[in-house]
Amino acid sequence: MKNIILLFGAILFSTLFYKQDIGLNMSLFSIVTIIILSIFNTKTFKSKSTIALTTTYLITAIAIFFYNSSLSIIANCFAFFTLVGHVSQRNSSIYINWLNGLFTFVAGFFLRALLKSESNKESKNKTQIDYIHLIKIIGIPLAVIIVFILLYKNGNPVFNDMISKIDFSFINLQWLLLTVLGYFLFYNISKPIQVNPATELDLNTSNTLEKNNKFSINTLKKENQLGLILITLLNILIIVFLITDITYLTTSNDIIAANLSNQVHNGINALIVSIVIAIIIILYFFRGNLNFYKQNNKLKIATYCWIILNTILVVNIVIKDSQYIYYYGFTYKRIGVLVYLLLALIGLFTTALKVFKIKNLWFLFRVNSLTAYALLIISCSVNWDNLITNYNLYHAKSNDFEYLISLSNNNTFLLKAYSQKNQLSTKNQFLVDKKHNDFVEKLNSNTWQEMQFDNFNIEQYK
Amino acid sequence: MRYSKSILKSIFLSGIIFWLVIFSEDFNADMLFWVFLSIIPISLCCSFTIFTTIAPWFILNSGMKPREVYVKYFAYYAILCFALCFYGVWKSNFSIYAISFFASAFITTMQTWNWLVIDNPKDSKS
Repeated sequence: MKNIILLFGAILFSTLFYKQDIGLNMSLFSIVTIIILSIFNTKTFKSKSTIALTTTYLITAIAIFFYNSSLSIIANCFAFFTLVGHVSQRNSSIYINWLNGLFTFVAGFFLRALLKSESNKESKNKTQIDYIHLIKIIGIPLAVIIVFILLYKNGNPVFNDMISKIDFSFINLQWLLLTVLGYFLFYNISKPIQVNPATELDLNTSNTLEKNNKFSINTLKKENQLGLILITLLNILIIVFLITDITYLTTSNDIIAANLSNQVHNGINALIVSIVIAIIIILYFFRGNLNFYKQNNKLKIATYCWIILNTILVVNIVIKDSQYIYYYGFTYKRIGVLVYLLLALIGLFTTALKVFKIKNLWFLFRVNSLTAYALLIISCSVNWDNLITNYNLYHAKSNDFEYLISLSNNNTFLLKAYSQKNQLSTKNQFLVDKKHNDFVEKLNSNTWQEMQFDNFNIEQYK
Repeated sequence: MRYSKSILKSIFLSGIIFWLVIFSEDFNADMLFWVFLSIIPISLCCSFTIFTTIAPWFILNSGMKPREVYVKYFAYYAILCFALCFYGVWKSNFSIYAISFFASAFITTMQTWNWLVIDNPKDSKS
């Protein structure tokens, strides 16, 4: 029975993807994947965490149908690996889920073939597949159905018409090879496997730091002193930097694009280095027994101060980037800066949490990778091109129209509507019309597998 | 002995996959000459790949049972091999020749790992 499900999935796979672009097919593939995973792993799908990850996978599948953007496709792949990896081992960290998911997807068949051959070697009584029965359950119903179709065809002209429209000419060797690939893929994920040394190590590693009994108070005292001096000096340095930067921002009246751009980019570079170094230094000092040293209060306070000052530095860059966006509009780079700043803020917060709750490095990896995954899923559900275009056209002080045209087709209808209400230069009007016509043509030529949400909107914008 | 046996099997397997994918796109009888001629480069490629990328894992870990070597390293090898093959296909803009080459390379290397463990007398005793 389970083989028939896999076979059905494989046929569906080649029907969805054979000589097709990405569109509705990817969303349907995600649904088929969830169905197959849940049929073969019923128990796992009763847990809340699996349901949550399935939901994130569905969100990315819906995002592909709505936006068809590269980000939604990447997020969908990540969500797929996460879900498959999670089904293989529910208690492992998210990055181990990715590893297990990828391994299952790539080579599950080969590992299972090896295990199967080993178990056959041991038992030496192979379970024979009843091929005659298999032929019977497929062949007899198929033959009977064909006979009845031929009979009904002659009895009803509408039915006859419907049957004659069925076209199997698409089946060829390439289509069959794709079906085999589909079967291989669904067979792989039907029973997810684990990368064993890594998964076991992850399961045996807790988030809490353990006290090591081999240490000397004298060494800890010296390390505490060094840490305190270093972090206090860094605190003073960052305070001076922040005061001069805020003074410059509040006193300069005219904002020149080049200056602001320079400031934001330099600020970001400085911030990247400063936050990475900050986290490395904190992790170095709080890597072991210094966490349990009774006189580490001052060092901890200095560390929290430094984290707070780094947070202020992040906020400072956010203000600069927002000003830049207000004057010159959104671009992917500027949004990327905001995303990076958000990740930096989360990183600083989790580092403070690590120091406060005496956690280890793995805790940071686990929490931060989970946060990054959540952010990826959330960001794929936003129509960024539409948002950028809408903001730049209607809210920004100035905009780069050619940049908006270079974005994906997700802003085409918005640009067209704008061009109908506003006077554009001849060149821009031509570019908007060209983009619109090309997109409409593409939508009209889409097969049902390639369909996207805009296919249903097309009449509205004609 | 087990290496030469595995290499022979891998030459056969990769040849079949390579030409099957190409024939799915275009087939004419004149190509049969090239099928026979291709055995030489396919043999060289298979032998070279197996001796440089798979055999060293077993030779360098000769103290371990082949199955243990498989469990420890196969996953990373498979992921890396898939990544490289997918990159090759993607860089070639999904050309049928690149797909046939990389698909046969990927499937053959994966199966060779299995053969090297299954055909091993050390493991069958355990």
